Amino acid sequence: MFVLALACIGVMVAAATAAAGTSGKSAVPSWCGPKKITLGLTDGFGGNSWRLVTTASARNEAAKCPSVQSLSYADGQGNVQKAISDIQGMVAKGVKALVVFPDAGKAILPALTSAYKAGVVTVPYRVTPGGKAGVNYNVFVDTNFADAGELWGKWIRQVLPQGGNVLMLSGPQGNSQGIDENRGLHKILDPTHKYHFIGAQPFEVTNWDPALTQKVLSADIAKYPKIDVIVSDFGPSLVGALPEFNKSGRKIPALATSDGNVLGCFWKKEHASNPTFKLFTVSTQNDHARLAIDWAVALASGGTKPSTTHFPSRAFENSVTGKPNPVECQPSLPGDIYLSAELSPQVQAKLVKK
Amino acid sequence: MGETTTTRSWGVGAVRRAAGRLTSRGLLTVVAATGGLVLASDLVAPSSLDRGTLLTMLPFASALAIAALGQTLVVMQGGIDLSVAGGLSLYVVILTKYPAGVNGRLLPAIGIALLAAVVAGLVNGFLIGRLRLNPIVATLGTNALLFGAVLWYSAGIPTTTTARLSRMGGGLWLGIPIPVYIAVVATAVVTVLIKLTPRGRRFEAVGANATSAYTAGIQVRRYAGGAYVGAQLLYCLAAIVHASIVNQPTAYEGNNYLLPSVAAVVLGGTSLLGGRGNLVASAIAALFLSQLDQFVLALGVTYATRILVQAGALAVGVALYTIDWRAIGRRLSRRRIATLAAT
Repeated sequence: MFVLALACIGVMVAAATAAAGTSGKSAVPSWCGPKKITLGLTDGFGGNSWRLVTTASARNEAAKCPSVQSLSYADGQGNVQKAISDIQGMVAKGVKALVVFPDAGKAILPALTSAYKAGVVTVPYRVTPGGKAGVNYNVFVDTNFADAGELWGKWIRQVLPQGGNVLMLSGPQGNSQGIDENRGLHKILDPTHKYHFIGAQPFEVTNWDPALTQKVLSADIAKYPKIDVIVSDFGPSLVGALPEFNKSGRKIPALATSDGNVLGCFWKKEHASNPTFKLFTVSTQNDHARLAIDWAVALASGGTKPSTTHFPSRAFENSVTGKPNPVECQPSLPGDIYLSAELSPQVQAKLVKK
Repeated sequence: MGETTTTRSWGVGAVRRAAGRLTSRGLLTVVAATGGLVLASDLVAPSSLDRGTLLTMLPFASALAIAALGQTLVVMQGGIDLSVAGGLSLYVVILTKYPAGVNGRLLPAIGIALLAAVVAGLVNGFLIGRLRLNPIVATLGTNALLFGAVLWYSAGIPTTTTARLSRMGGGLWLGIPIPVYIAVVATAVVTVLIKLTPRGRRFEAVGANATSAYTAGIQVRRYAGGAYVGAQLLYCLAAIVHASIVNQPTAYEGNNYLLPSVAAVVLGGTSLLGGRGNLVASAIAALFLSQLDQFVLALGVTYATRILVQAGALAVGVALYTIDWRAIGRRLSRRRIATLAAT
């Protein structure tokens, strides 16, 4: 009897220990391997709120893995030479893995290649640096901007089934993001033959500058008596420009764009007096940096590789169906935060208020 | 000048001299050009004259006019101020980030921005007025310092304008945007100070000929340096107007003013070599440039054409004042006479 009781206690203790062990292990993500590593993160340009939240998201992701002993960050400040020397500096410092936002594109490729050849796990993301995975770097974690264009196109078909005039705004002339988004939009809308693209093609150039956006939009409002939907890849920059419709005695039309707290709050304030102002946003993809970190850490620390190198475009807000989310606004927090990001709004607010 | 004086030509000359005292060649040219542009807008791109478009264009034109006044002061002293970009960006950032949406903190923010403007102006004034550094080099250096301050203070993050400032920028009085009144008052005040006060006349004298002014007992350095302080204060006023019309200004708004502010001065007929300047002409040139922007946008041409048209307007403006068209005309007619004589 005594032996049986002892055996029972032994089994219970063993089970409890095993359970504790399992729960401890489940807190560590699968991409986090056992090898201790140091991590580097370089930005071509870090001076805006989107970058700040994205960098903080990367830090937050790396902190999930106890094998990452330190994370060094460098901001290229829009200077290609500095961005290159930042990468070289990280290699000299002896980081085991390096995540790079190659803003300058192909100009960064030689620096990436030399880092890769020096044995550092090199993971560029978001902007294509050219070159090939396995030759110039380990892996390129990309996103297809045409997917966002397709999501916008599908929404436009739902809210304007009869067709209409579509005005698209993007950043500098010829920027690849705008061109890809425009391609996705055409892919969905063109087969219907109901939608007419107005304004400069493939998009009106705004340089993502709010002042220029205001001027461009007011010119288009005067020129086109009927604008049914605006498509823009930088929603928050439209907040100052959309009241131009009311100045001209017109109602704000439907808007397919990317998210931002300031835009959500603007919609909440204006949609009652502008019944045509329907809003659909895709996520601004701050969490793209997380997937790049997962890859870099997995390859350097011996963890499980993520299943994809492709970060998807996701719908975020839809004022018509409320799915996947209704329009969100945190009026007590700054306008320059992104509620679609995994990083909590409060943490983001602290970052941008610093 | 024609030396054969007749009663008729004397009468015309007197009228010309009287008009010359009140106006300048630059003012007449820029008014005519603006009139021509309005006419062209009406004929070719009427949507650029729609009420909604004008309500957007006029506040931007007002901010540019005020910045151009500041640039004119510096150019009148034979200088040039490239720190307009950094200065204006810094003041916009102070005016938006310091209040952070709280209306009550707007006035202290304006005070801090004005203080920063005085400091920036004094640095430029000291480097150029006292140390005699080249204005391009000195103001380029100050510009870098000012952008450093912008990034230090804001980390490049834009902040939404306070509601009170936004109301001012978007407000109308008698159907005209409030920024227009601010620009008109600023132009009038600066014109009166420069053209009608003894200090203002001395300021012009220093710009026209510093050596003569020095021999006449005028403190040349103080006036030459003072122009930069005045300019920064005007950039600060332009920043107030700009921050009131752009809902969420970026940390780099001043970049939009660098070339246009110099272009407005040149189109207004103020010589880049210094001397007499026409402040009203600079302000109207700012209106011309802003309407040109809107005109080309309304035409719906490509972005490349937009840039080319704007650059072309600037080239024509510079050519109007810097090329001696009469001499070219004389040379051509002389050549024609010589050819005729040879045949």
